Amino acid sequence: MAFAATAFWASDWRVRAADHFDPPARTDPLVTATPDKAADIADLYTWQQGDSVVIVLTFAGPQTANLPATYDPDVLYTINISNAGAPTDPEIQIRWKFGKDGQNTGVEIDGLPDGGGPLIGPVEQTLSRNGILARAGLYDDPFFFDLQGFRDSKASGNLSISKDRNFFNGQNDTAMVIQIPTSMLNKGTVLNMWATTARFGGQLS
Amino acid sequence: MTRTHRWPLLALPLALPLALGACGGGGGGSSSTSTPVTPPPTTSTSFNVQPCLDQVAAPGQTVANLVIPDTLKLDVSQPNGFPNGRQLSDPAIDITLAFLFLDLTKTSKMALANLPLDPAGNDLPFRPAFPYLAAPQGNPPGLTPGGVNFVFRNSPVSSYVQVDRMGMPAVATVLISTATKNGYNDDSPAVDGTRKYVSVIAQDLTDFTNELEHDVAKTGLPLCAKGL
Repeated sequence: MAFAATAFWASDWRVRAADHFDPPARTDPLVTATPDKAADIADLYTWQQGDSVVIVLTFAGPQTANLPATYDPDVLYTINISNAGAPTDPEIQIRWKFGKDGQNTGVEIDGLPDGGGPLIGPVEQTLSRNGILARAGLYDDPFFFDLQGFRDSKASGNLSISKDRNFFNGQNDTAMVIQIPTSMLNKGTVLNMWATTARFGGQLS
Repeated sequence: MTRTHRWPLLALPLALPLALGACGGGGGGSSSTSTPVTPPPTTSTSFNVQPCLDQVAAPGQTVANLVIPDTLKLDVSQPNGFPNGRQLSDPAIDITLAFLFLDLTKTSKMALANLPLDPAGNDLPFRPAFPYLAAPQGNPPGLTPGGVNFVFRNSPVSSYVQVDRMGMPAVATVLISTATKNGYNDDSPAVDGTRKYVSVIAQDLTDFTNELEHDVAKTGLPLCAKGL
């Protein structure tokens, strides 16, 4: 099935999948001199886990091992959830911000569906309240994809793709993970979710 | 904000006669007896991708409904598995390609993932419990939590300017052309619901199908697009 891979990789449309480095004019260091790494969404995931729903947002990656996480106090991360009415009108907006206590970094999570106020605590620590678990930290990039093979194929015109080569091997992202009891989200309709990033004072480029 | 309606069929005006034919690729589908050319011959056929957008990709969801509006959908009454949500281990890209290019009445949405086209999984195992993601690679600094009295920016949401958005994997990157990307990322699913990007998505999918059809056909996997 090598030619199947050739076919798909011969065009340049998957190079940025899933959302890493997109939009390129704002986040890709190959395109702009002032890429907004902190605001660059990598991926969004959601699934059911027992009687809860898990949502994962990865960003600021992929980056090589040994680099620290990216916690920018000027970026607002929002997980939007629509669970009633129009699927594009979010009833729940969970907003994440980073802040400092000296050299230590903390996270503030507002808009949680338990009706409480902001949940605040250090990064790299699981925060919990009313059955909700939340955490921000640095993790392995969970995405798998042979980006190098694509680039080689494009440059040479010859298939250089390998299903055994994952461009994201050994790479990390900063991430937010939240687990919410399904009963707090489910109103009997399909849940529609999307994430946004926004920068205080305007875009970098 | 509420101009969203369900649109079971997009009914796109897709008579898009794109003649790629950079190599003068032969019409008529002959495999040709002429001298071989170095690059694979491109097709001069143009395709109608409407059947792709209209096909059912998940229970109650057409492809068009999955990508417009650009949200990740999770029906908690149904089992996990992309495109019902997206688990860390789901081969979401290969599945997305399958429902954009292949006739799902004749083959499985897993047809490409089963090859597999991409690496089949992550390089590290995911954790079975919260936070599920694998620990970071290497020995990066800053993994020890600390601090109590954190100071956060206390500014209204309106003082932030949107940079990026994401719902479905690969939609913004695959189906939105470069010239449209910034505007697309400025917008919201509510704007998607006004059908603003329908023609862009259809055009891009048509372009890709025209470009890839020749090679996909060699795999024996059935295309959802129909030749014009």
